[in-house]
Amino acid sequence: MTFRLTTGVLALSAGLVAGAASAEIKVGFIGSLSSDTGLSTLRGAEIAVEELNAGGGVMGQQISLVTADTGEDVTEGIKAYEYLAETEEVDFIISGSIDDVSLGWLPRMQEYQIPTLDTWTSYIGIIDMVVEDPETMAPYFMNIASDEALATLYINFGADVLKGQMGFESVVILAEDTAFGGAITGLVTEALAPVAGIEVKDIITYDINTNDFAPIFAKAQASGADFIYQVSSVNSQVVSSQYVKLQVPMAMTGVNVAALGLEYWEDTGGAGGGISTLSPVPSVGFELDPASQAFVDTYQAKYDSRPKIPHFNGFNAYHGLKQAMAAATEAGGFGDAKAWAAAMIKQDLKLEKDGQLWLRYGFWDYDTVEPVTGRTYPHNALFDLEAPYDFAQPSMVVVQWQENGEVGVVYPPEYANMEFSLPSWVPSK
Amino acid sequence: MGLRWYHFALWGAFIVGLALLPELVSKGTLRTIIFANYLAIFAISWDVLSGRTGYISFGHPFLIGIGAYTTAILTKRFGVPVEVSIPIAVLTTMAGGLIVLLPALRVKGSYFAMITLAFMELIYQLVQVVRPDLTGGTRGMSGVPTLTRGAVNGFYLSAFLMVSVALTMWLLMRTRLGTALSAVGMNEESVRGSGLSATRLKMVAFLLSAAIAGLGGAFYIHYLGTIAPRALFEINFAFTIIVAALIGGASTIIGPVIGAFFLTFLLEYLRPYLPGAERYLIYGGVALLLYMYQPRGIYEVIRQGWARVRGLA
Amino acid sequence: MLQILIQGLLLSGLYALLAMGFTLIFSIGRVLNLAYGSYLLIGGYVYFQFSQVMGMPKLAGVALAAIVGVVMGIAKFRLIVKPLKGDHVAVEISTLILAVVLQAAVVLVFGDSSKILLPIIPGVKWLAGTAIPYSNLFAAIASWLILIGLYLFVRTTHTGRAMQAVSMDPKGAAISGIDSDRVNMITWAISGALGAVAGVFFASYTQLYPGMWVGPLIIAVAVVIVGGIGSIIGTLIVAHIVGFMEVIVSAWIAPELRGVFTMLLIIVVLVARPRGLFGREEL
Repeated sequence: MTFRLTTGVLALSAGLVAGAASAEIKVGFIGSLSSDTGLSTLRGAEIAVEELNAGGGVMGQQISLVTADTGEDVTEGIKAYEYLAETEEVDFIISGSIDDVSLGWLPRMQEYQIPTLDTWTSYIGIIDMVVEDPETMAPYFMNIASDEALATLYINFGADVLKGQMGFESVVILAEDTAFGGAITGLVTEALAPVAGIEVKDIITYDINTNDFAPIFAKAQASGADFIYQVSSVNSQVVSSQYVKLQVPMAMTGVNVAALGLEYWEDTGGAGGGISTLSPVPSVGFELDPASQAFVDTYQAKYDSRPKIPHFNGFNAYHGLKQAMAAATEAGGFGDAKAWAAAMIKQDLKLEKDGQLWLRYGFWDYDTVEPVTGRTYPHNALFDLEAPYDFAQPSMVVVQWQENGEVGVVYPPEYANMEFSLPSWVPSK
Repeated sequence: MGLRWYHFALWGAFIVGLALLPELVSKGTLRTIIFANYLAIFAISWDVLSGRTGYISFGHPFLIGIGAYTTAILTKRFGVPVEVSIPIAVLTTMAGGLIVLLPALRVKGSYFAMITLAFMELIYQLVQVVRPDLTGGTRGMSGVPTLTRGAVNGFYLSAFLMVSVALTMWLLMRTRLGTALSAVGMNEESVRGSGLSATRLKMVAFLLSAAIAGLGGAFYIHYLGTIAPRALFEINFAFTIIVAALIGGASTIIGPVIGAFFLTFLLEYLRPYLPGAERYLIYGGVALLLYMYQPRGIYEVIRQGWARVRGLA
Repeated sequence: MLQILIQGLLLSGLYALLAMGFTLIFSIGRVLNLAYGSYLLIGGYVYFQFSQVMGMPKLAGVALAAIVGVVMGIAKFRLIVKPLKGDHVAVEISTLILAVVLQAAVVLVFGDSSKILLPIIPGVKWLAGTAIPYSNLFAAIASWLILIGLYLFVRTTHTGRAMQAVSMDPKGAAISGIDSDRVNMITWAISGALGAVAGVFFASYTQLYPGMWVGPLIIAVAVVIVGGIGSIIGTLIVAHIVGFMEVIVSAWIAPELRGVFTMLLIIVVLVARPRGLFGREEL
């Protein structure tokens, strides 16, 4: 008992101290403090906070940032959200959480109604929750295009480049056995044949803890398809590095989450050449508009540890946090989550490069139906699935790592700065 | 049963103290206590199976997960009310307890420990592969119905559960059953010699443990509102439960409770000082040193300390 | 068919090496070293740090990993196993906690992200339509050489025979004047070296990441359960059963069920033959 009472007293005094310093806006970061993913969001938020504070703060108040580490663990994520909400009593939460960690703390967000912005997870199921339950999900925003949009762009890449340029007629899908893998595989198979005219020969689902991919690649080759479509978000560097080490004589492209950061080359020791993947924007090798470039310059001057260039979610956090503060100014603070959400959904940041729309940070409303996929995406980042991308940037771009370590965007042509090519050991068709 | 006046006084003080806590501590602390309460329930459940009988289970999340998934799927996918789904979850988990019992009839010691680890790995893989439309696959399910809102209500529910489980088990372990179970842990042959059925005793222990695990798992998931395979069937979760029971003091009731509170608060109170990965290092390091110093747990440290004080006085 | 044979042999060689250190401790010390996976984890990172980051020769990197493994093994024996006086449960729990602590330490030093090791020998040989990376071939051959060396050591040297004696009957060995402390310490050192070297090979097969101690531990557990406390030969055979089963499941049945089959194998064998396929033999 004494033990319990002591901790109680400690916590009580901690609570009093936290309560005393509330004449400022408090932002909470939730995510992993040890992963490139988490650090990108955290640092994007830190820079935005510094810039806002240097400009006199928001509504005359300075902003402070507190962190809650999830260690990419679901239960720790729930504790972290509770800590931010009830011990730190933050006004706004910015998240760099991965899919199941976000799903873990979402019931807490629904309960506390704290304005929250997710910058990494692109799980469409969360946007579906906004559609189904707009009341309690009102304070939630996700400023990365969701999975659904990700697969759609890829069909165009298939039609224009894989079939159009390379002459590939058939594909074998190599998908990890996860919810993400299943969803993307479904979207891709439904559209590849009818829209892109590429025949799906076989779908191979593999266990994410597979140690040896040699039998699996052999199976893919035996299918007789022209190329492999990889869907891999967990341990995806194992698939691609074994593809390179085994010199599999088939082209492989698809989704490889590990290849989304600039450290991919260093981490794979170069065993990643030839790999192409879909990437949210701004991706590695992406040409930046002046505003985003300025952010990267500040970032590199400030941090010298990895990630050397923030991943896409770092940009999302930087621009998104400023938008959240602008929305708070319009809504008179974060206190009324509904009023804040109403202001947030109207935020619209258009970044131009060479006089053209390059990146747009805004959100879909409840009613607008996205024309290509024919559904709504309330509170999800705006994206554009049709050239010439004058409404917003494409949901994703295709990037490729060359065998010499260079990386660039290969699709769509409006954003491309490199040609799609096959690894040297793959015979061209 | 040898109940004494001070037993009632201690339990009474414990319950009154818990009931008053929401008046004394912040909501953030209450949230931490809720997690500690559930961990205490799991640790007590583990202790009944492993601490008493000596059959060390490394796969206890197997049982907790069965209870959690049963009620989550029933309520979320089929709209079954929790009044029905939680009892079903407890029964299903008890069936799971019988599965764990099977190897225990043939092997012991380290072999049993390893097979329970295999059970946990097996269900971890199966949950993701078999019927992901029901289980939510790798991402799990969000939006499982919650029973309470707010820290105070969640605290009262979890504290009520924890005290009920602890008190029931405490009383039960003071009967001849408890003595017999500990005898299984000491020496199975002598149990047989004294005319008791070791198999039947093991079955009782495993079913009891499973029932508590199922009950705790079900309420835990209805508190979290979310279920993910990675959070449940993880060697780290098994680790936390086992260490909570052992560091508190195995084969006691208050020991696992002390252990659960100690571990949960240790990890949470390090957060402001060590925000990143250092936290887990210190957390694990403290657990290791404490366990190495006294494998019989904090309970034993307190007991010896108390004996010394009384000896001096 | 030939392809399955080649891929199965390559993978099984690795699994045999990986399980051997774990079997040794289980046979001689009679305890589960749940921090066994940490040898692989630390061994892999040591190699990565010295060879890949600092550019030392690859063999030197492997040797350094082995040395660190030996030091860890001895430290575990002196600091954990001996003070706990061989209490099985206490050793198992402490090693489990240690494994979690070491994982946190690796996250702290190297971060969370996975790393791919450069091939120890770059290049690929094609045989019967099957790609054989030289690196994997090297790992398999090295595993075999190490295991043959271990077998000869145990069979022919004085120390090796003492290990056999302790494994068979610790009390009898003590009576006949064998210093079981010394034998145990040597075994822990060998186990550490085997684990660390296996870690380098395992990581160069797959990847290096802070959670990589769990997967190999499960494989080692599978091999030990299916094989039983047993001989080096038994471990070798069972490693091939597990390895070939994985390759066959991946190639012919259902790659997503790879792990499920291994777990089912453990449970079925244990229920049917509680002492494993190769029972209790001499080492």
